[in-house]
Amino acid sequence: MSGRALTPGRLLVIALLALVMLLYVSPYGYLMLTSFKPPEDAIAIPPHILPRQFSLDSYSSFATDPEVPRSFRNSLVIATLSTALAVALALPAAWAIARYGSWPGRLFLLIALVTRMIPYISIAIPFFALMRSFRLTDTWLAVALAHVTVSLPLAIWLLAGFLEAIPGELEDAARVDGCSRLAALLRVIVPVAAGGIVVTAIFCFLASWNEFLFALMLTSVQARTAPLVIAGFKTQYGINWGPMTAIATLYSLPVIVFSLFMQRRIVAGMTMGAVKG
Amino acid sequence: MSRADRRYVLLLLAPAAIYLAVFVAWPLLNLLRDSLYEVALMTPGERSFVGLDNFSRALSSSRVGGAALRTLGYTLIALSIEFTLGFGIALLFNSLGRRSELLRTIFLFPLMIPPIVAGLLWRFLLIDNFGIVNHVLHALGLLAATGDIAWLGDRDIVLFSVTLPDIWLTTSFVTLVLYTGLQNIPASLLEAARIDGAGALQLFRHVTLPLLRPVIAVVLIIRGIDAARAFDIIWVQTEGGPRFASEVLSMHIYRIMIRYGDVGFASAIATLFLLALLLISLLAFVGIWRPGAIRRDA
Repeated sequence: MSGRALTPGRLLVIALLALVMLLYVSPYGYLMLTSFKPPEDAIAIPPHILPRQFSLDSYSSFATDPEVPRSFRNSLVIATLSTALAVALALPAAWAIARYGSWPGRLFLLIALVTRMIPYISIAIPFFALMRSFRLTDTWLAVALAHVTVSLPLAIWLLAGFLEAIPGELEDAARVDGCSRLAALLRVIVPVAAGGIVVTAIFCFLASWNEFLFALMLTSVQARTAPLVIAGFKTQYGINWGPMTAIATLYSLPVIVFSLFMQRRIVAGMTMGAVKG
Repeated sequence: MSRADRRYVLLLLAPAAIYLAVFVAWPLLNLLRDSLYEVALMTPGERSFVGLDNFSRALSSSRVGGAALRTLGYTLIALSIEFTLGFGIALLFNSLGRRSELLRTIFLFPLMIPPIVAGLLWRFLLIDNFGIVNHVLHALGLLAATGDIAWLGDRDIVLFSVTLPDIWLTTSFVTLVLYTGLQNIPASLLEAARIDGAGALQLFRHVTLPLLRPVIAVVLIIRGIDAARAFDIIWVQTEGGPRFASEVLSMHIYRIMIRYGDVGFASAIATLFLLALLLISLLAFVGIWRPGAIRRDA
């Protein structure tokens, strides 16, 4: 494939794709550019694509608002907590499925698949009552537990796929050397599968970081996450577009930059489940 | 498998199984139970059994029916555009082979954008008077005045407008998966068909498409489910407005739960929604997947 010459037809395809890419990237570029305009210019008529004047006012406008840093911290804690929990629960299950096959494992994959088809709202409603009976509403733990219902099935599927590539003889060899099976899993298999575990953790983290509906239903003040606060810029003060573009940039840019670095691995994770079928 | 092996497997599965039982299965059983009761949000202890009343209310409510139709509409619009666009771009990438790597990297980045940011961003781009989209269309001569299309204010087109961020975000996923599927088709198979005299179109219809079928099924089902249960991306654009013209099922259920505090009724609709989604996914799976299709078609 790579050895083919650049024929005119192929150049046309490249030009066409480049145009699509430009259209594709420009909305986000416009968001970032707008965040560096003076807030009143964000809603100038007619709009300007480039900032006429560079300004950080949109960023500083919420620096005094304690809710913004708190919501970012909440999102970070909840995403970390739910990721740790999901990976810790999924890892042994995925190993059982990948290494030992058998019907409980297949049944488990099926359950994970069906769980993925449940509308969030159908879990969120009874989950809300459950958390209230535990007196956990508006806490990190409640939101993290809810997010694990989303990320656990995903983690099981991804990890089962990654662990399948690891030869079972590795476990046997470790056991000959005197490891128990659990120790073999933790000391031999986990290091070998580290790459796949990292990818899985990224997906779990993103699922939680981006999640809106569970957080909306389970939090009120203390545990409000960043997406709720960002969406709140709209309803609370009318539409405050300048600061909204700034906070949306702060919230999304680190994730985008990070994932571009991890791109190869993320692509591997994303296509694995679907293509292998 | 030995007895010890079996016990070890169950031990490994137990933590995740217990979690799913307590935090997924148990809530769903509660949902089913609540759907048979009249429950007030603030005083869940006081409940009265009403049998299937909530279900008959849901099935006869025009608001619920409308929301269900809009959910279907939103899903079909998003899915058909994402699939057509995503497949087209995947074919272009495939014709370039490895050379497409840089372009593919760029193309992937919207996947990492949080849905609410995409929703708010597109709302910003589409706002009638200072939205950049209408200004660009006006500058290109496609619109007489910048206020001519009220993307999110016109009840007739709002359901289409709210799918735009969804399309922007997830076409990449469709492309990515289909591209990988295309790359996995053995070159020897395509070569053999070419030697047999198959043209490009025949090659696509009789070799590529049947071989890609399972991948297509997975893409359509995953994207279909996600579009059907979309909430945040639409919520931040319109909150279901104007006058419910973009209110999908998740949103309607949320309103009944939070605004009206009618837990029983919300649970009944959520149960119906869940069953419908499972049923449609299953039908789609059986209908499109057809693992034996390769031999029959090719």
